[in-house]
Amino acid sequence: MQLKPIVLNVLFFVSFLIVSCQEKKTLPFLGPKETRVSAGKVDTIYHQIPAFRFLNQDSVWVSDQDMAGKIYIADFFFTSCPTICPKMKTQLLRIYDRYASNDAVRILSHSIDPAFDTPSVLNQYAKRLHVKAPRWNMLTGDKAAIYKLGEKSYMVTAQEDKNEAGGFVHSGAFILVDKNRHVRGIYDGTQEVEVNHLIEDIEILLQEK
Amino acid sequence: MKNILAIGLIVLFASCQSKEEILYQQYVVEGRSIYEKNCSNCHQSDGSGLRDLYPPLAKTDLWKRVSQEQLVCIIKQGQKGNSQVNGKPYAGYMPANAKLEAIDMAELVTFMQDQWGNKKVYSFDEAKAALKNCR
Ligand code: HEC
Repeated sequence: MQLKPIVLNVLFFVSFLIVSCQEKKTLPFLGPKETRVSAGKVDTIYHQIPAFRFLNQDSVWVSDQDMAGKIYIADFFFTSCPTICPKMKTQLLRIYDRYASNDAVRILSHSIDPAFDTPSVLNQYAKRLHVKAPRWNMLTGDKAAIYKLGEKSYMVTAQEDKNEAGGFVHSGAFILVDKNRHVRGIYDGTQEVEVNHLIEDIEILLQEK
Repeated sequence: MKNILAIGLIVLFASCQSKEEILYQQYVVEGRSIYEKNCSNCHQSDGSGLRDLYPPLAKTDLWKRVSQEQLVCIIKQGQKGNSQVNGKPYAGYMPANAKLEAIDMAELVTFMQDQWGNKKVYSFDEAKAALKNCR
């Protein structure tokens, strides 16, 4: 059978379209943007997670600098939480196991009950989940600093409504952060299908230079 | 016409089952939703638990080690401390379920037994008595 040239052309064009659409799949930059003019050029400054420093389950300091060049997922929880946290941890384990041999992907779980969740409590918790730093850091520290970081820096979409301060750090969200500490996605960490999307998006980020 | 047929079939089917059997099925269905709401977060829907953090309820020595009365009290009061499950120590914290009443307990325990223990109904009267005796 011989295809007419016109049919071939259409086929070629369609497949070209499909390919070029796939190549363009990128993730948005979430949070407030600024534009700055320097030397006659306009630069967009994207929202960036500010410097931070907390203790992890091994009583080791973990800071923003340790995350340089890493993609990470941030969440907020506490070890004695009976409701959504176990679901979130079940989902995070999927990610942890999936990227077991990929050092470019990290998890930062911040305790919102740091008075109770001391490094040694977090250590027990992490051990019982069979997870280790630095691939999965469980963080504790100054409560006000953790809440401020959560509400002002990570929960950028939630924060758009200024009247709804508070509460969001306890919403079960997973926040996807890129290699330059820009927030690129927020997902419901209690829902398996949402976490499937998160995994797809991690794959996209891993392709970014 | 179709409707009449369907109703006829249902009546036939229902009358084949004993009253007890129907009650059992009802308890299992209700019990599953209580379990999903209050327990599956930690123990997982299939009762497999979560690593060494939350113990399994399926395939464990629980069903030999603990009586139904004790089970009801564990669920009602929660637990903190040192259970040995399949010889492995767990030291986590399980919240109390003070809101579950006798009928809920009967349904929940019947569901759990159906899934992981012996397939027997746990009656409302037994649950009521057990709840009273929790210390
Ligand atoms: C916040 C997580 C959590 C939730 C929710 C939870 N449990 Fe537990 N459960 C635990 C932990 C942790 C233990 C082990 C406690 C210990 O170390 O003493 C446990 C222990 C048990 C045990 C004893 C196991 C054994 O073999 O001795 C039973 C039975 C049980 N849970 C049933 C339930 C049921 C039924 C529900 C729902 C009504 C429920 N749990 C909800 C965390 C949870």
